[in-house]
Amino acid sequence: MPRTVLICDDALFMRTMLSDILEQAGFEVVGQAETGSEAVRKYRELKPSLVTMDIIMPDMGGIDAVREIVKEYPEANILMCSAMGQQALVIEAIQAGARDFVVKPFQPSRVLEAVQRVLG
Amino acid sequence: MDAGRFVELYASEAREHLGLLSRSVLALESPTAPEEAVGEAFRAAHTLKGVAAAMGHDRVAELAHAIEDRLDDLRSGRLQVAPELVDTLLAAVDTLEEAVEASFHPSAPVAEAPVRARVHLHPETPLKGARATLIAMNLRRRGLITGTHPETFDDAFDGIFHLVLAPGTDPGVLETAVLAGGDVESVAWSEAGTAPNVPAAHLAGPHVRVDPRRLDALAEGISELTVLHARSVATFNGQQSAGDRTAMILAELQDEVLRLRMQPVSVVFDRLPRAVRDAARAAGKSVRLTLEGNDIELDRAILDDLGDLLLHLVRNAVDHGIESPAARMAAGKPAQGELVVRAERERTSVRITVREDGRGIPRGRIAEHAARLGVIGPASGEVLTDEDLLRILTQPGFSTAERVTELSGRGVGLDAVAGRVRTLGGALLLRTEEGQGTSFIMRLPVTLALVHALRVRVAGEDYAIPLTHVAEAVEIQDVHVSAVAGRETVRVRDDMLPLIRMRHVLGLRDPGHESAAVVAEIGERRAALAVDELISREQILIKSFDPARGALPIFSGATLLADGRPALVLDPLSVV
Repeated sequence: MPRTVLICDDALFMRTMLSDILEQAGFEVVGQAETGSEAVRKYRELKPSLVTMDIIMPDMGGIDAVREIVKEYPEANILMCSAMGQQALVIEAIQAGARDFVVKPFQPSRVLEAVQRVLG
Repeated sequence: MDAGRFVELYASEAREHLGLLSRSVLALESPTAPEEAVGEAFRAAHTLKGVAAAMGHDRVAELAHAIEDRLDDLRSGRLQVAPELVDTLLAAVDTLEEAVEASFHPSAPVAEAPVRARVHLHPETPLKGARATLIAMNLRRRGLITGTHPETFDDAFDGIFHLVLAPGTDPGVLETAVLAGGDVESVAWSEAGTAPNVPAAHLAGPHVRVDPRRLDALAEGISELTVLHARSVATFNGQQSAGDRTAMILAELQDEVLRLRMQPVSVVFDRLPRAVRDAARAAGKSVRLTLEGNDIELDRAILDDLGDLLLHLVRNAVDHGIESPAARMAAGKPAQGELVVRAERERTSVRITVREDGRGIPRGRIAEHAARLGVIGPASGEVLTDEDLLRILTQPGFSTAERVTELSGRGVGLDAVAGRVRTLGGALLLRTEEGQGTSFIMRLPVTLALVHALRVRVAGEDYAIPLTHVAEAVEIQDVHVSAVAGRETVRVRDDMLPLIRMRHVLGLRDPGHESAAVVAEIGERRAALAVDELISREQILIKSFDPARGALPIFSGATLLADGRPALVLDPLSVV
């Protein structure tokens, strides 16, 4: 059974890029979300093996979405996606339950390393 | 720290908490109070971790910590109880148990471990502070570190930080864990500062481990003293009061030492829930285990054997006795099978029953197979009794025959069980009803049983009557005795009971003056045993004995009374 992933970012460009990287690695992209609340809704629906979550999103940011998801699904594997200069937010996301993080612009090898660490 | 002295304490503490952990984890699945079980399990794992860490047994501490984490997840609701989780926990407890046993045989002295590690992140690492935070969080969660320097990582953080190791952390394990965190360039060890402040193993706990052979030696010594004392009292008649006091103390000592050898069967029963659970899950069956008579005590030596015997019978019951849920429901039974393991005291034995409500043993088919294998004579058309069935099943030839498939499962090892029970001086019994279930009963003689008994005197000799079958003891006067249809009876309270004069039973012709009667009760039958005098109530140790040829078959053993005098122990069952 292929591992599934839900990609959450408000920029189509970012979602597409991550999608490519993960599909090449054998993942099945089963859903995409543009806002924090959509992310939470789709997680409930899809229960993916992995979630990539952008920090800044409209209508519930990434950190709150992480909190909501982890509250209901403590086993959720969430990889935080951040831009440079957002260290404090990333730390907050980790404390909220994200398992690891990658920094934009994405390098495929680093993304996959981080995914490896998250999924164990 | 003098490790040697603490090893024994650690061993006993570790085993105790391991047992508690094991029981609590099993209790997670019970319908009653699983929350308590989580708390108990958590505390047990936590304490075990601390004790192991203090002794430098880091593998044990790590394993205990991992279990503690899972239990914490359960406690906080992050995880829910599910059979798979309990499976995982039980497997972890098994591994922990192995590690604990291994830790009792330390191969090398605990080395002085460095207290701090210095971590360098790659210079190119983006968001170094976030990376360090993540690494530190994971290490803390695994119980490998207790802190970092700096404690938090701000924007000015340069990628170099220190870890404060938790006591007992293996440096190799830590290094691997750090490197797995991502973006780590190197891990270096700062020089060993002062050794970690290891707390001494706490001495709390009321238990002492004792070599049973020491107890035997003690018991023998006291017995000899008692006999010698009785003799000296007889010789120096004037010393009555001092002698009595000494006799009393000796008797108390003897009691205490023998009691040290006794343990409640719960020691052995405790292993059963796990065994039943594992067997049921492996066989796809649903079984409810009930344990009764947990407090009944048995000599330690007998308990050792009993454990193995019970495991065997219980596995047998789950594998071959109880049907699958589907088969049970088709037969109109509840899907969950009942398995009862029960201990009861009889006059001088303990009766252990393993009873299930399964399919019963198919008499006809066993008879056929046995006949075909030449184990018994050709089927005679008579129905096999339970005794016959047991005899067939415990034939070594029967249980290992290949032709017998699902039936042989029932017989496998039964010959070994029967053999072991016989060696202990006991008996194995079988009761089975097709479609309804089977009971295996082990009657084990308790030769070292401490029993409450009445001391009575008949014609100048003292005898002990175990109280297990005594309803009461009363004074009688000749007035109360009457004859009904040629047999003497006596009124006790509102009952007319048959009167049995012990003098007659003992074969004494001359009449005596009986002032008391002991009312013996066996099931529904009651009778009054007339004796000359009631002397006292005592706790005695019954020793079985080989009666001399021609002796009356009414004695179940012999004992030493409190004042050191030997007395025969009467078996009311054989008299009534």
